[in-house]
Amino acid sequence: MLSYLTRRGIGTIPVIILISLLVFLLVQAAPGDPADLLLSDEADAQDVAEARARWGLDQPIYIQYVKFLWSALQGNLGTSFRYAEPVLVMIIERLPATIELAAASILLAVIVGVPLGVWAGARPNSWVDNFGSLFGFFGISMPNFWFGIMLILVISGYFNLLPTAGRDTYGIGSDVITGFYIVDSIIQNNWAAASDGIKHLILPATALGTNMMGILMRVTRSSVLEVMNEDYVTTARAKGLSDSVVLWHHVVRNAMIPIITVVGLELGTLLSGSIIVETVFAWPGSGALLISAITSRDYPLITGTVLMYTMAFVIINFIIDALYAAIDPRIRFEK
Amino acid sequence: MTKTANAAGGTQRNKLGEVAMFISRMTKFLSVALVGGGLAASSAMAASEIRIGVVNDYAGWNPYADSTAQMYMSWCQTYGCLGTFDTNDGKYKGILAERWEVSKSNPNVWTFYLKKGIKRHVDGKELTAEDVAHSIWRNKNDPRSAQKQNTRPVKSWKVLDKYTIQFTTKKPTAPLLSFIFDRLIITGKDLYEKHGKKADRKTPWGYGPYMIKDILIGQRFVMEKNKNWPGIKKSHPDRIIFRRIKENEARITALLNGELHMAQFIPPHLLDRVRAAKGISVKGTSPVEVMFLGMNPKFKPWDNVKVRQAVAYAIDRDAIIKSIFRGGAEKLDGPVGPGQYGFDPAVSPKYRYNPAKARQLLKEAGFPNGVEIDFFTANGRYINDRESSQAIVPMLKAVGFKVKFHTPEYSTQWPMVRKGKRSFFYQGRGSVVDPSAAIAQYFETGVAPRIMYSNKEFDATVSAERQEFDPAKRKALLLKAFNIIQRDVPAFFLWRIKQYYGISDKLDFTPRSTDRMFGFDMIVK
Amino acid sequence: MGAALNGRFLSDESRQRFLKAIRPWLKPKIVVGGVIVLLLVVVGVTAPLISPFDPNAQNLNNTLAAPTWWNGVNFLGTDHVGRDILSRIFYGARISLIIAVTVVVISGVMGVGLGAISGYFAGRTDFFIQKLVEVVWAFPPLLLAIAIMAFFGQGLGILIFALVTQRWIPYCRVARGQTLSLRTRDFVDAARSLGASDRRIIMKHILPNLMQSAMVIGTFAMATAIISEASLSFLGLGVPPEIPTWGGMLADGRAYISTSWWLALFPGLCIFFTVLGINLLGDGMRDLFDPRLKRSGAGRG
Repeated sequence: MLSYLTRRGIGTIPVIILISLLVFLLVQAAPGDPADLLLSDEADAQDVAEARARWGLDQPIYIQYVKFLWSALQGNLGTSFRYAEPVLVMIIERLPATIELAAASILLAVIVGVPLGVWAGARPNSWVDNFGSLFGFFGISMPNFWFGIMLILVISGYFNLLPTAGRDTYGIGSDVITGFYIVDSIIQNNWAAASDGIKHLILPATALGTNMMGILMRVTRSSVLEVMNEDYVTTARAKGLSDSVVLWHHVVRNAMIPIITVVGLELGTLLSGSIIVETVFAWPGSGALLISAITSRDYPLITGTVLMYTMAFVIINFIIDALYAAIDPRIRFEK
Repeated sequence: MTKTANAAGGTQRNKLGEVAMFISRMTKFLSVALVGGGLAASSAMAASEIRIGVVNDYAGWNPYADSTAQMYMSWCQTYGCLGTFDTNDGKYKGILAERWEVSKSNPNVWTFYLKKGIKRHVDGKELTAEDVAHSIWRNKNDPRSAQKQNTRPVKSWKVLDKYTIQFTTKKPTAPLLSFIFDRLIITGKDLYEKHGKKADRKTPWGYGPYMIKDILIGQRFVMEKNKNWPGIKKSHPDRIIFRRIKENEARITALLNGELHMAQFIPPHLLDRVRAAKGISVKGTSPVEVMFLGMNPKFKPWDNVKVRQAVAYAIDRDAIIKSIFRGGAEKLDGPVGPGQYGFDPAVSPKYRYNPAKARQLLKEAGFPNGVEIDFFTANGRYINDRESSQAIVPMLKAVGFKVKFHTPEYSTQWPMVRKGKRSFFYQGRGSVVDPSAAIAQYFETGVAPRIMYSNKEFDATVSAERQEFDPAKRKALLLKAFNIIQRDVPAFFLWRIKQYYGISDKLDFTPRSTDRMFGFDMIVK
Repeated sequence: MGAALNGRFLSDESRQRFLKAIRPWLKPKIVVGGVIVLLLVVVGVTAPLISPFDPNAQNLNNTLAAPTWWNGVNFLGTDHVGRDILSRIFYGARISLIIAVTVVVISGVMGVGLGAISGYFAGRTDFFIQKLVEVVWAFPPLLLAIAIMAFFGQGLGILIFALVTQRWIPYCRVARGQTLSLRTRDFVDAARSLGASDRRIIMKHILPNLMQSAMVIGTFAMATAIISEASLSFLGLGVPPEIPTWGGMLADGRAYISTSWWLALFPGLCIFFTVLGINLLGDGMRDLFDPRLKRSGAGRG
């Protein structure tokens, strides 16, 4: 097992380096000069030249890349042009918000999708099943940004039930400890702040989680259907165990594996989706940071954020592969 | 990692919060002890908080790093600046400066007299001319300074005494105040010497009527009232939170929900909705931002003045103002409109919608069968910029232009404009309180490559105008310059878009055309 | 029997055979999905004929007009420069269709091709192609497209390039897997011993077997292509404004959502239903081709 993991781990290194090169080149190829953009209207050619020199933009590309790679390996992803903060610090500051959103979406998807799937799977071809399947298809097909806009329009705008945007209301909050506002508030017994945080989280999490909700529902349903027909279930039934006991003890537990698999597989889509949802809801996470960095041609920040997302994705995939390998020994011996 | 994250927001907030609390308690104690019961009762009132929705970004703690109106406004009332332009009466008013004068013998020498007894936030150190000297130095030399152009006319400076400082300009510069008054941020010399560039974060203490409480990058700026500021009243908001909400819909919804007391820049199509809302009123100002079509003679066919004039005649501005801006814009004749310095209704020639004439001009220019052009517009930077440009395209097509329409991202468009690489573009120029700097920037030979227009007569006129201290004579020269621009049309000035603010009835505030929202102009009801 | 073509269109037996062949396709999923997709295609193809207005015709006197439905001129209302929404929806279908089909076809050809080559030749070729796959696949789904569009600017060609960049990989993977197992089969050995060239073997023997899975992948890929284009346009990174796409209409309409909700609602609904239809169709097709695949519900193309 360990040797498999080590092999896999080493195998990702060239990939990561190639990715960093790709991202770096991509950013460099862009039209638009950050020095021009970030300095004021009236800065003249000399100011621009000074700024370029200060940011190292006047050097050949390969030197810039090597410098970048070298510092990156030391944990330094450069300094943002616009904010003058270290990129790594900025990304890490914003990360809790994105993680919070992602976690909430997954939680919502699981809480709604799985029971629905179990319910539908346990009663195949009933109206429950059909409703559930339809729900599943809806979830998969829903464009998350459109759904987000509609949610804001109806629930926030029309009914005024929940806030339109942002993550918190100033003044209610407490000190930042972990970066997860809700958790921090609860730790400090500030229930008003916790509830404020949750209120802000509901709509974005719904918009982002709908896709996964649909997928989970369908996967769960299939899993349940499959397991229901297994011998040991029939045996258990024959033994006289009630349906619901059979359901929860045997069926759901065995359906867990594909569910977890799907969550893992869909995490990448969730990550990308979060970029868009964060933009719709002005959620201050790394996705919003990326988009704003793109708009202002903040090279180091763009490179850093894209790398961060990609690294996260690579790590997640690695973990999933490791889980697979743990579950299915055959995989360890594949080339 | 957590520590770093904290340093960004949490710890700073706490320390500052504690200090601010201490000061406010002290002040309360003093006011009760010295002034007596009446005030004691009112000082026990709950703190008033005003929340304002703004559009532009909060990029950091360095007060010299941005050059938007929004940031000038924020730093001006916290760190402090010499003064500001009062659009109500068209005069410059001092904030940290008491008075100022130009030397009669040498028009290059300006002397500024600071107000006495201005105490700094937190440590109470008094404002001196040394701080102002330091600020100019920092403006010119801070590696992140995006404000250098404001002090460019200043060649040297000298501290005369504790409260007096003298600037010497390179050439006589009549509009100097429009360069430095509320665009030179005053920071403390001793703090910078002690902490270096970390001073902005560790000790963001200024001299202005409001104190910096917190800045959350990309999201908000929180300031609290400086109770020691001379003239500050109870009715001024105790705390102001500027929340950045770029999306129009979100910002306006927050206003209507009560999450905000004021929202900047209401787009035309939402005006009715805001007007209809209870407890909120809409106030508009004519801005100091002018919108225009730039035509760079370096590119064909823009080297032909008839082609440029054809554009001026081809556009039905009234129709666009009526439909796209819902009436919330004013036509411009020349670079400035009523309320801006130098405006003169006698400017000529004026252009009115006349597509037949436009077609005729194109024919005379040698394009009887039309001519191909590229049209670039700003996109999402100004109110309805893309939409208004979209509406312009068919009007140009109707008179014979074959238009290729581009809507690049502003971050790509803007550098290209500044480098002079755009042949024909829709653009705005903000902060045109005094047009001198703006028209020089765009039309004077050799100043900036944006529009490579060159006219000796124009150059001579603006040079003379800059050095003319007599207002009447200066305005006459400005009019002459405007007329040249109108005649040659290197840029066709389209309109000024009215800036609408949505204001809750709990707040008494009249918006300024300079977009300055100062706490000391606001009254909480 | 009887080739009785006079009087009757089909003989009884032919008709029986036809019906028998078609019956498995008549599941509700496939029918509903198929109808929706067919509708999309028809609207897209006939857009110039059925649109009441030119989709780019501005009318500044009639901006942000509410939908008039059957009573008036603009069935679904007008947008902020007075363009008819219904016409733009029709043309949007056209463009969405063109983009989706182009992306799917190009990525399909590329993916199946590279996958077949990779699986057939194995060894070094396989190694390099798979390394390429790994690097490109390491990016979270939309991110690479966002980066490409942000940096290279707008344009239909660039958009298609950006969308294809990652999308060929699922085809590649499946094709490679299938090729790997196919190449050891008897008929391939037989063909080789008869002197057939590698190219011929791939083209004649291997590719046809890859078609079914490619079709299933392709169907789902169309759905994600449509959503991706809409997402990119929403972020302001999509096609230039003269080209009406549903995503672009959504992005435009968002700024007017509280007063003129029709600008954003209808294009969004269209995206939703189109994707729904495609997903239904794809799912049904997958059930048909390989009932074993029914287990997993993931709709990822």
